[in-house]
Amino acid sequence: MTAANRPRLRRTGIGLALPAMLLLAIFFVVPVVSLLLRSVTEPDVGLQNYETLLATPTYAKIFWNTFMVASVVTTVTILLGYPVAWLLSILPARWAAIGFGIILLSMWTNLLARTYAWMVLLQSTGVINRSLQALGIIDEPLSLINNLTGVTIGMVYIMLPFFILPLQSTLRTIDPATLQAASLCGAGRWQAFWRVLLPLSVPGILSGGLIVFVMSLGYFVTPALLGGTSNMMLAELISQLVQSLLDWGLGGAAAFVLLVLTLALYAVQVHLFGTPGREA
Amino acid sequence: MHLKLKPIALAIGVSVAMTGMATAETMVFTAWGGSTQDAEYEAWGAPLTEESGVTILQDGPTDYGKFQAMVEAGSVTWDAVDVEFDFAYQAAEAGLLEPLDFSIIDRDAIDPRFVTDHAVVSFPFSFVLGYNTDTYGNAKPESWADLFDTEKFPGKRTFYKWSSPGALEIALLADGVAPEDLYPLDLDRAFAKLDTIKGDIVWWGGGAQSQQLIASGEAPIGMFWDIRLWPLQSSGLPIEIQWNGNLASADVLVIPKGSPNKDTAMKFLAIAASPEGQKRFMDIITAEDVEGGVAGSGKVQTLPEDGANQVTLGLEWWGENRNMVADRWYAWQAQ
Amino acid sequence: MLLSFNRMGGLRWVLVAIVVLVMLFLILPVIFIVALSFGSSQWLAFPPPGWTLRWYHEFFADPRWMAAIWTSTKIGILVMILSTTLGLFASFALVRGRFRGREILRAAFLTPMILPVVVFAVALYAFFLKIGLNGTLVGFVIAHTVLALPFAIIPISAALSGFDKSVEDAAILCGANPWEARLRVTFPAIRHGLFAAMVFSFLVSWDEVVIAIFMASPTLQTMPVRIWSSLRQDLSPVVAAASSLLILLTLALMLLAVLFRKKADR
Repeated sequence: MTAANRPRLRRTGIGLALPAMLLLAIFFVVPVVSLLLRSVTEPDVGLQNYETLLATPTYAKIFWNTFMVASVVTTVTILLGYPVAWLLSILPARWAAIGFGIILLSMWTNLLARTYAWMVLLQSTGVINRSLQALGIIDEPLSLINNLTGVTIGMVYIMLPFFILPLQSTLRTIDPATLQAASLCGAGRWQAFWRVLLPLSVPGILSGGLIVFVMSLGYFVTPALLGGTSNMMLAELISQLVQSLLDWGLGGAAAFVLLVLTLALYAVQVHLFGTPGREA
Repeated sequence: MHLKLKPIALAIGVSVAMTGMATAETMVFTAWGGSTQDAEYEAWGAPLTEESGVTILQDGPTDYGKFQAMVEAGSVTWDAVDVEFDFAYQAAEAGLLEPLDFSIIDRDAIDPRFVTDHAVVSFPFSFVLGYNTDTYGNAKPESWADLFDTEKFPGKRTFYKWSSPGALEIALLADGVAPEDLYPLDLDRAFAKLDTIKGDIVWWGGGAQSQQLIASGEAPIGMFWDIRLWPLQSSGLPIEIQWNGNLASADVLVIPKGSPNKDTAMKFLAIAASPEGQKRFMDIITAEDVEGGVAGSGKVQTLPEDGANQVTLGLEWWGENRNMVADRWYAWQAQ
Repeated sequence: MLLSFNRMGGLRWVLVAIVVLVMLFLILPVIFIVALSFGSSQWLAFPPPGWTLRWYHEFFADPRWMAAIWTSTKIGILVMILSTTLGLFASFALVRGRFRGREILRAAFLTPMILPVVVFAVALYAFFLKIGLNGTLVGFVIAHTVLALPFAIIPISAALSGFDKSVEDAAILCGANPWEARLRVTFPAIRHGLFAAMVFSFLVSWDEVVIAIFMASPTLQTMPVRIWSSLRQDLSPVVAAASSLLILLTLALMLLAVLFRKKADR
């Protein structure tokens, strides 16, 4: 082969992303920006909507609630999801398939139906409380609904599959030889975990965690049905403003603030941990 | 040689007329979905189709954001829409509704409390005090004040979650305000009264949820839509209604400004709000063998003859102050 | 050794215990829904006083349920294909691209996931009204694809970044053109990521209710919209029956997939 016709490895440019960019530009950026502009033009030109948001304690509380609940849900999901992803990535295929089957089955069942089922299960006269009382484990029914506990249970339930699936795919790509090498070097199991397995799983944890955190911020069905009003989340508030009170100015402002805050957090995460899903 | 104009003119005339007849009138009726919308369609839509060949398509659920967007864009796809009464007031103010043609709609035959220049009644209802007789045995709540009495009537109570006429009036009435003095609402006093039981309140966001709460015993007492308690009673559950001080209101039908089938929609509203239409609707939703949802059997505890101190909710005041109250309501809930 | 099930020692039983509990947690509501669908109590009382097939009769008697399922499936599949394809190409650019503003582009692709859906729904609806796409299948699919795109990009990017590009480069140096190399080398290696992208994209569309309400028309009612109205208005286990039938369908499909793979393996 002469130098002229040796196949060349071309550098990847932005070209492949163009179709997706076009879709977003036309059907997302343009409409959303026009709506968000209303946050500074309705009811009057200016930043009053933003002032209202930042000055009123209610809205501050709702913002705080939203980020707090999302953090709690993400943490619990990571803690419960990691062992599951770990096991699924190393189980023999037959058992792993059962695990996947259950996960997919739970995702496939309609979201509203699942949330309603939790409502009925978690009530003080619901199945869980009555069973616990019948078994003598508790005397008074536990307050599992209309509070943070209910929202957490409901949302972790929805989010677990979104975390487990990407993570287990990352874990599968970790070369077992790395861990073998670690034990050959004298590392105990605990050390091997902390210093080898965990760091290698971080990209997967970040990807899955990002999806879960961001989804939790914007979720409104589950918190609306399982939460109390004192932990109202932003999505429900914006929904009320836009769909019921026709206050698109304030609704748009709240959405914009949420967007900015989340992107800021994302930027911090990238700065600290590197980009999820980026070539090492 | 001249063309025979007369037969040609005749032919053209006939074909134009035939095209006019062949183009069916259509309209889109939008409501909240479920078996209630089915009943509304059957009571009002089906007769309209029978008598004038109109094709009625159903859409839903009603969404005020969508409503405003379509009117603003001038691209309206809904013709007759079932909305809440206080929204109707607000929307009329904002210029989102068509003024109604009362030469088609018989205004005098409609309950004047539930008619405006832009809206007619679709679904009248009352907020009532519902309670579980098994839980409370012989103790019977006599008025809204008892809803706030956690000693005589312990347990969780359930209230309507959204900022809407009802809960605040109940709090004021329970606190001793006379019905004539309700409006403008003394919000501070109402919230103070609600604060006394806030820890025991479970909020219902939809009719179905309210039914589930009282049926399961999760909240053995609370404020309900009367129509939601009837099927519970007729299916044998130990639930009673205290009508004293019931709060009357209604959902209404409106026509979005710029609706492409305005005239047909007017006819629909005319049927819906007429006494015959209303009776047909009530019969359907209380019929014996309708499955699910709002239906019940004949054994329905309807409003007593004397009205039992019925209070009509001040929807005009609500229409003017809807957003202001909502701000305070959600702020209070979030505490 | 931590990544081998057989050589983990006692640790594996701890893992198994946790996983079994989580699996029970995941399956509990599903079983509950199926049980409720056969119960005779309209008020979702559990345990129900009796058993009945009434709700299933009601489901099949109303053609709008089946129509809604069909609409949701149609839209879901179209969204899955579109979103995974666009996401795949975009992921290549994001993971391997060497251009300025790459990080900003990545963040931009994530924005539809971050912005509260209702704002996007109203904005897009108003936009569609101007260009006549409201109430159309095309508009519906576009709207859901925008939402699903981040869900495709994230898993594919993660899988792609874990893949050693030199294998693909080797194939190219051996004479394959770039896309052939990708098809035969890269895609199989990242198939877990592709699978996750497809599943997530489908599910994002399948369960989505807010945009669905805005994009709805008399002929375009999806399952979530129907269920949403139904749950708010009617207390009826018909929704449980609908969900159970879908669960049954999913189980059947999964079984078929397993049997098919067993056959293919032989």
